[in-house]
Amino acid sequence: MTHVSIKELSKTYPGSSEPALDRLSLEIPTGELTALLGPSGCGKTTTMKMIAGLLDPSSGDVLFDDRSVLDDKPEHRGVVMVFQNYLLFPYMSVADNVGFGLKMRKVPKPEIDRRVGEMLELVKLPDLGNRRPSALSGGQQQRVALARALIVQPNVLLLDEPLSNLDAHLRFEMRDLIRGLQQKMGITTIFVTHDQEEAVVLADKVALILDGQLKQYEDADVFYKRPVDEATARFFGGQNFIPGSSNGSVFESALGRLVLPEGAISGAGKLTVRPENIRINGLDKGENSLKAVVSERLFLGTQTRLRLLVGEEKIDAIANPNEVENLSVGDAVNITLPPSSLWVLPT
Amino acid sequence: MVGKESFSVRSFRVVTGVMLITWLVLPLIPLAIWSFAKGWFFPDLLPKRWSMQAWDYALSDTSGVLDSLWLTIGISLTATVLSILVGIPAGRALGMYKFKGKELVELMILAPTIVPGIAVVLGIHSVFISMGLNNTVSGVILVHLIPTLPYMILVMSGIFANYDPSFEDQARSLGASPLKTFWYVTLPAIMPGIIVGGLFAFLVSWSQYILTLLIGGGRVVTLPLLLFNFATSGRNDITGAIGMIYILPGIIILLLTAKHLSGRSGAVGGFGQI
Amino acid sequence: MSDRLKIALLLAPALSIIGILFFGGLLIGFMRSFNYMPVIGLVDPDLSAYVAVFTSKEFYLSFLLTFHIAFTSTVISSILAIGAALLLRRTFIGRSLINFLFQLNLTVPHLVGAIGMLYLFSQSGSFARLGAEWNLISKPSDFPAMVFDPYAIGIILQYIWKEVPFIGVIVLANMQSLGEDYESVARSLGASKWQAFIHVLMPLIFPGVLSASVIVFAFTFGAYEIPAILGASFPKALPVLAYQKYTDVDLAARPEAMAMAITIALLSALMIYFYVRYTRRRIRS
Repeated sequence: MTHVSIKELSKTYPGSSEPALDRLSLEIPTGELTALLGPSGCGKTTTMKMIAGLLDPSSGDVLFDDRSVLDDKPEHRGVVMVFQNYLLFPYMSVADNVGFGLKMRKVPKPEIDRRVGEMLELVKLPDLGNRRPSALSGGQQQRVALARALIVQPNVLLLDEPLSNLDAHLRFEMRDLIRGLQQKMGITTIFVTHDQEEAVVLADKVALILDGQLKQYEDADVFYKRPVDEATARFFGGQNFIPGSSNGSVFESALGRLVLPEGAISGAGKLTVRPENIRINGLDKGENSLKAVVSERLFLGTQTRLRLLVGEEKIDAIANPNEVENLSVGDAVNITLPPSSLWVLPT
Repeated sequence: MVGKESFSVRSFRVVTGVMLITWLVLPLIPLAIWSFAKGWFFPDLLPKRWSMQAWDYALSDTSGVLDSLWLTIGISLTATVLSILVGIPAGRALGMYKFKGKELVELMILAPTIVPGIAVVLGIHSVFISMGLNNTVSGVILVHLIPTLPYMILVMSGIFANYDPSFEDQARSLGASPLKTFWYVTLPAIMPGIIVGGLFAFLVSWSQYILTLLIGGGRVVTLPLLLFNFATSGRNDITGAIGMIYILPGIIILLLTAKHLSGRSGAVGGFGQI
Repeated sequence: MSDRLKIALLLAPALSIIGILFFGGLLIGFMRSFNYMPVIGLVDPDLSAYVAVFTSKEFYLSFLLTFHIAFTSTVISSILAIGAALLLRRTFIGRSLINFLFQLNLTVPHLVGAIGMLYLFSQSGSFARLGAEWNLISKPSDFPAMVFDPYAIGIILQYIWKEVPFIGVIVLANMQSLGEDYESVARSLGASKWQAFIHVLMPLIFPGVLSASVIVFAFTFGAYEIPAILGASFPKALPVLAYQKYTDVDLAARPEAMAMAITIALLSALMIYFYVRYTRRRIRS
């Protein structure tokens, strides 16, 4: 329903010399669910507050369907922000919390009651309307906060760390609820998180922000396969960065010549391969096979981490414990780095 | 900051701010001027002649102002020390333990912070007569404990509520005696509370008027009593000088502790008694 | 040592002092107000003091005046304090100065404030002189009576001067620990600035305002020296009247003074009820 454009958005807080956000530009298509991902303090929440009109940008613009909304007051933007700690009004019942936005719009009481009932049904809390927020569990509070936001039928929904306060099994429940409602209502949704897993699990597209600047804005899986640089790769759990040079199809380094996938850059760079993509198999002598020696071995329950030496170069790998059961430190192994798992990063 | 702020909103803020500043210092200004005035008659906006007479008088040995100052300091310090000594154990009991009747105890301790002194001091006066405590400094100190002690206990119970007694166990298991444990472990941990609570107790005692007037019976003349007498006898210049001396400790304490005196502390209610 | 014994020992000194001095004082006052004091031979309690008090017009006028002083001072101070706290919440030039003056004002005893008000608002005070300077008045008696006046304007102004910073500091701390996020939520849900203030901020700070107001009301109802300096000679504020009765050469008036003191205490008991209801949680946390 609403296409959100952020143009060169910057924010420097009074009394600070470093910008909290530095010229961020993003296009968020109508109805999509986008994650703003970055470590804490990278300007994510600042960005959200500026989209919601709760904070004035130092420079730049926010446009909804190509119209600047900077002069619109927060209550007229059609944007609702759900805060990380839910911020349910403690002196109101759950139903009054959910109906708050409608009351502010002076909707008649019977209609508020009806829509609050429907909304509580939708977030699967039909019987809790009379409770106080403090009597609810964290997961329930989160759902009330979501209901309170959705009842005003916003054009844009902003969620601040929506899953981070929930434990593991609630996370998936909440993820399904958020995705389900978001797709049903077609609301353009932006959420911020510092957790790459949360971003990948929930979002259509992920915008990675490091040091106040947009690093990469793509579908979630691209961050694993084709990160733009070493910092991005590391943020997504990447390891193994081997210096060398590429001609676009072959990478030469201390590991020898390795065949690259299509689209790799040319010139000096660093080769990266995620540890879980390294195949450890004594028999496979196909493309990109190398001889290595096991130098460290760490059993972690569901996986075994290996440190391998190829000549002088160290390579970290993760393997299924069953497959490397018989390996011990000092053993020689064949490892394979499939071309599709390699990527070259600029130095 | 929510939304954009127009120029008019900002200027409104500055204007009200200036008015507020003016209003806050206003009553102290004529007091200060009077202390340096030599006759200041209607309709002069400022005194025609200035002089240090009032200050010379107030600071002379014969006027009794300095005696009164030392007496007031002595009474307030003693009341503060007693409040600290009694307030620490009580604060520990209320801050660290749950027990039957705790609500009643809290109520008993809160009551003197609300019930005005005049309501209790008349009854105390008639008992103190028979105990010979009337018109004595000790009687005045005792009666000052009524308003000072509750705030000390409130501050200390707040401190002890956030205090982890395992540190004491750790010290004992490392070989410290109970006394050493208190001195080296407990005391440093509760020191901020003792300082803040003590300053409150001092200021509350410092500002007492009716309790001192009645129990002191005119024999124990603290600074506020002296100030009141000069104010009602029309000696505005000396009143000004004593007034300035009287507010000095509060200002010194404020300068030393401004950062501790946030409204977040439960003890800030103590300011309601000053 | 059992925990119960330990707790009892820890509390014993404090409870003895408060029990004997405070509650003892109240009890003796209560007994004497009924002319009952076995130690000095008064063994037949009676209601004569209360009858005398409650049939005297002066008492009612005093009570009404005192209630007017306390109520008006508390309401005006609370409203202005909320406004001041809203002002101080934002950064602007002079904020830290106001903050400092607020705290400075808290340490200045009421008595000094009362004398200051006397010098500002009396008929030969600074404002009267300003009026003369601007040719608004020609002699002191032209200046409206603002001290020793029947409406207790000077007394109320003094209380406002002292209590706006007092309530303001509490409310400001309250607002700062709440942060602005609750209001932001309300704004983003469609509330205007005014709606966010009325429907969200006010209910959130109300308990804090109320508990501070209770302290202020009880104090202004029972304070002696301020109305003694700034008040009219008739009617007197209740504490002033009680003190006058108590120190009367006619010792028979003492029970009447006690009866007034007990009336003040009963009203404060009502205040304590509100105070405990709304502040217990704050004290514990």
